[in-house]
Amino acid sequence: FCRVDPYGFERPEDFDYASYEAFFSRYLVVLTRRAIKWSKLLKGNNSIQKSLKVKRYIRKGIPNEHRALVWMIVSGAQTNMEQNPGYYHRLLEGEKNAKLLEAIKTDMNRTFPDNVKFRKTADPCLQHALYNVLVAYGHHNKAVGYCQGMNFIAGYLILITKNEEESFWLLDALIGRILPDYYSPAMLGLKTDQEVLGELVKMKVPAVAELMERHGVMWTLVVSRWFICLFIDILPVETVLRIWDCLFYEGSKIIFRVALTLIKQNQAFILEATNFPDICEKFKQITKGTFVTECHSFMQKIFTDPGSLSMATINKLRETCREKLLSQG
Amino acid sequence: MAQTVTSGTSPEGLPPSYTYKVVLLGSMSVGKSSLAYRYVRNDFRELLPTVGCSFFTQILQLDEATVKFEIWDTAGQEKYQSVCHLYYRDAQAALLVYDIANKQTLSRAKLWLEEMEKRFLPDEIVIALVGNKTDLAAEREVTTEEGEEFARTKGLLFMETSAKSNHQVNDVFMAIVQELLKREKEKASKPFLHGRSTVELRASGARMRCC
Repeated sequence: FCRVDPYGFERPEDFDYASYEAFFSRYLVVLTRRAIKWSKLLKGNNSIQKSLKVKRYIRKGIPNEHRALVWMIVSGAQTNMEQNPGYYHRLLEGEKNAKLLEAIKTDMNRTFPDNVKFRKTADPCLQHALYNVLVAYGHHNKAVGYCQGMNFIAGYLILITKNEEESFWLLDALIGRILPDYYSPAMLGLKTDQEVLGELVKMKVPAVAELMERHGVMWTLVVSRWFICLFIDILPVETVLRIWDCLFYEGSKIIFRVALTLIKQNQAFILEATNFPDICEKFKQITKGTFVTECHSFMQKIFTDPGSLSMATINKLRETCREKLLSQG
Repeated sequence: MAQTVTSGTSPEGLPPSYTYKVVLLGSMSVGKSSLAYRYVRNDFRELLPTVGCSFFTQILQLDEATVKFEIWDTAGQEKYQSVCHLYYRDAQAALLVYDIANKQTLSRAKLWLEEMEKRFLPDEIVIALVGNKTDLAAEREVTTEEGEEFARTKGLLFMETSAKSNHQVNDVFMAIVQELLKREKEKASKPFLHGRSTVELRASGARMRCC
């Protein structure tokens, strides 16, 4: 294995090549099998209808060569792009908000400095694509503009689609439809979902909820990045992409499934914590190691470990948590 | 987390220990995370923008006390302000950071101060104004005097630092500790006015950690 992964990220110095190789040789068999199944499914016609079969296929992972296309189709981004030809380019040619441009520029060199494709010296340098996508999006969705965290998401979309316009429409699918308002100025959707996770932990892993409460650890402190960055820079790249496969198809409840699986699976470990800093450290540790690297088994776990999680439950919790937050001002 | 304990010395005669929550506030890219990273790890590297909040701890063994800092590093983008008040709740100290090479960031630090003044009484929190990036002297837009003068009129601690070249980073945290300990002493001499710092009745070994 090379110092740089297939997506351009430099592997950390303490990267465990031996255990990654052991995992990857097994995963390669899965990837090959999935690739064959997917080519049959897509067979020439680049269209997919939502069905139980497709859902099952997506949970088992979209092969990288089809990932951009499938994300585009199942998220509705493809339809929006086709219905609005030239819209993306018009946004880039239109009048710009100077303050927005400045905020985006500030983060250019700070988005994936560990990825060779985002370096100034890279050819093509993906910073340009990233800048364009964020500028276009900020002018398209003026209520959101630019919010830190979107740079990472757009960056991943560009790495996968290798196409600015598609990245723009996928970003719109995520921010405009799939996620509740995580990035709007009040970030009410984010605050709500952090509380919803707290409630779900109370129901499904009560000992951890009790520990958090006893030490006064707010959920926002340990999980805000999970929501805002959709696990980028938290979990391994391959695992993040597998999560996003399901996110585009099944929606935002996948985030809760992942979070609950991480917490439930590591319950005993988290409960060893005896103070506030300990708890924070444990929450950092649980996003590392073979459990999360082995993305295929991890993705199986997220659909079994947390137990049933209906959209009705989540909607109800979202409603009560939102009202509570609003009443607190 | 923070509870009121008034005892000054531990039963074993060891110096008392105090836990203080310190928050880093300021505009995007002024170097808040870099200051924390320099202070806790004594290193400098390219850091990703902080999204939400991150958390570091640092323990100081001083002659007169053991001080445990819980450092809360916050996102600088204005957008995050609506979640940030969750982070500086119950803080005992705050670093208001600006970039000496970017005048706007000082104005923003002033706004942060107004926000803090709304939420804290002056004796509840120690605030330091920190002009970071002295390594960018050639691009300086804010004079030392300007920062100093503003801090003086508002009764803030003041220091210019460089997380990159390790200039006065330790000093700014030490200045905060000294001020906090001074306040503990004053409080002890006025036993009915309880502060909000925590006194832990056990000595803890030197640790460095970050999460």
